[in-house]
Amino acid sequence: MADSNAPKPSSSVKLVLLGEAAVGKSSLVLRFVNNDFQENKEPTIGAAFLTQKCNLPTRTIKFEIWDTAGQERFASLAPMYYRNAQAALVVYDLTKPTSLIKAKHWVAELQRQASPGIVIALVGNKLDLTNDEAGAGGDAEDVGAEESGDARKISTEEAKTYAEEEGLLFFETSAKTGYHVTEVFTAIANAIPETSLKTARGPGAAHAASRTEEQRVNLNGPRDSNAKETCVC
Amino acid sequence: MESLSDTLWDIVICGTGLQQSLLALALSRSGKKILHIDPNEFYGSAEAAFSLQDAESWAHRVSTGSGGLFAFASITKPEGAVDLSSSRAYSLALAPKLIHARSTLLSRLVSSRAYRQVEFLAVGSFYIFRPPQDTQNPTLVRIPSTREEVFSTTDVSSKAKRQLMKFLKFVLDSEASPQLETWQPYADTPLTGFLQQEFNMDAELQMYIITFTLSLEGNISTKDGLAVIRRHLSSMGLYGPGFAAIYPKWGGLSEITQISCRAGAVGGAVYMLGTGIKEMETVENEVKLQLTSGDTVRTRMLVRASDSASGQTGINRLVAVISSPLSSMFQSIVEGAPRPAVAVIAFPAGSLSTPAGRASEHPVYLSAHSSDTGECPVGQSVLYLTTLSTPDAKAVLERALDIFICPTSGDEAPQVLYQLQYEQRTGPDTFEVDGPIFTFPAPSPSLSFDDSTLVPVREAWKRVMGDAAVYAEYLVFDDRDVALDDNDVYDTW
Repeated sequence: MADSNAPKPSSSVKLVLLGEAAVGKSSLVLRFVNNDFQENKEPTIGAAFLTQKCNLPTRTIKFEIWDTAGQERFASLAPMYYRNAQAALVVYDLTKPTSLIKAKHWVAELQRQASPGIVIALVGNKLDLTNDEAGAGGDAEDVGAEESGDARKISTEEAKTYAEEEGLLFFETSAKTGYHVTEVFTAIANAIPETSLKTARGPGAAHAASRTEEQRVNLNGPRDSNAKETCVC
Repeated sequence: MESLSDTLWDIVICGTGLQQSLLALALSRSGKKILHIDPNEFYGSAEAAFSLQDAESWAHRVSTGSGGLFAFASITKPEGAVDLSSSRAYSLALAPKLIHARSTLLSRLVSSRAYRQVEFLAVGSFYIFRPPQDTQNPTLVRIPSTREEVFSTTDVSSKAKRQLMKFLKFVLDSEASPQLETWQPYADTPLTGFLQQEFNMDAELQMYIITFTLSLEGNISTKDGLAVIRRHLSSMGLYGPGFAAIYPKWGGLSEITQISCRAGAVGGAVYMLGTGIKEMETVENEVKLQLTSGDTVRTRMLVRASDSASGQTGINRLVAVISSPLSSMFQSIVEGAPRPAVAVIAFPAGSLSTPAGRASEHPVYLSAHSSDTGECPVGQSVLYLTTLSTPDAKAVLERALDIFICPTSGDEAPQVLYQLQYEQRTGPDTFEVDGPIFTFPAPSPSLSFDDSTLVPVREAWKRVMGDAAVYAEYLVFDDRDVALDDNDVYDTW
């Protein structure tokens, strides 16, 4: 690195989490954002919003993460979240076959309804419940689902083949141990085409981005705070 | 989880238009039990934004008479328009309103932290259409809107410059003496008359001024006109150099409705699309609602929007996607200004004629949006043309579009790739309270956001909150986001 203090361009990426209830969507985000894990986390109600920055060699990506409730009853929230999203994390529980079916349903819906260039990552979570050596740095590939004491119900191969067919990024993770969690987000950050990145906001970015790209109006800008608010609305 | 019908809801909000959505935002930290429904399968009601496919099914529904305040929607795609991209590459706004920097809407979005989810773009220049005279071709003239621009423009005479300068100065102080006494006798008469009497402006210069009011009637009163122009001038430069108004990326007010509903959802509200109210009944202190989904729910209060047309004149709109980026219209004029994504072109009353030879009765406003708005792919633009409904309105809008895309000098004319036309009627403009049932006014067809839209939202919020309503806390929230500071960033290489 020639000068690690030089400001890098920074861009926001809207990322939406989808998946069946209790597959660990919020736990993945909690691990990524706070490096924390809660054993018996309460279900997410409605939705949650979190942010986390991810430093790449040439740029900083600020993830704006929309975590939707898996048990949301009317499926009315998701369209509002994946609208204009540049990335989606579709999560299933690799010990629960129905959750992969639900994940495939989400992938199909994203391909039908979301922004044309959306980056989709398929993530099989709860690797810690399998006999794989999750977290020990081992490769989690080609592990049979039938081994004794192994709660795995969906083989890596099955999910991976599906992901390849649909052009998805694919990972198996454990939010509990943290295995592969950061890698998912880094892979997404790297997969976002530079051209689809929003104009950077924040200091530093202003120098890196060319002036003609400076379009976003910052409402935290020079508006004078003395402006009297006489309106009653 | 409790079922819908087992819960006694504090409030059921029907419709996801701007007012209902802002109410959901305002109540998002209240702990109230909120059920937010919409009979449509999309968010935004009359402020929605559509992909081409959405637009098609919407237009179909409207043309079969179930479009509420909307009517006569039709879509035309010229033969051989090969450049049209996929449906989702477009986001056509039903309410492409510009928002002045001084608008209270923006301060509310800032204080509630909701603005962080929106990208705002600058609204750039205002142009006026000059019909052909003698041998001259029709032209577009950029209206100078700051003193610096008035000073530097070559489009007006030095006499006109002096008049404009004098007027701009007058407007900024128009609430004080002696300016106040000067205009008050004209308060309820047309602004044009005042400009002529007090500033000796000719018809063309009057038109420059009127254009800034975006008045659909074209005969705005002196009182209202001065207020709107003062808002425009005092908004100039507020959020950066060279622009007075901004526009939310991805479909204007639609985006505000969606971030507001998202905030509602984050706060725990339950959302159901495709669900309306079939029947309702007030029993003691509760409203019993039978929903179109078959559920029956009970609530303490119900908020909905009026969608019955009143007798007032509505608007005709034509939305066109064209095969040109119109780059020359989206240049920043001032050093350091953000590149504008919206330009406004006014066709004054009488400047257009129908195929039958009748002159246009009202002004036509054309709002041109660049692909920076996210409403169309790069290399194309979306044009929103609006005029007051008359029997000729449709023909007049088509004429304005033809003239606008007509090449000026041997260039190839941009192609119209897609065209959506419809009428939007106006409804009651009052907030109605009938016991526990509140009805918001119908959306106003104005071209810029009118702060009076916010008044009923706060009123409804006050009634829902009851004794717990503290105005100082209205839409004032901390960031929910648990962002870590800059030191706590993943270094991933």
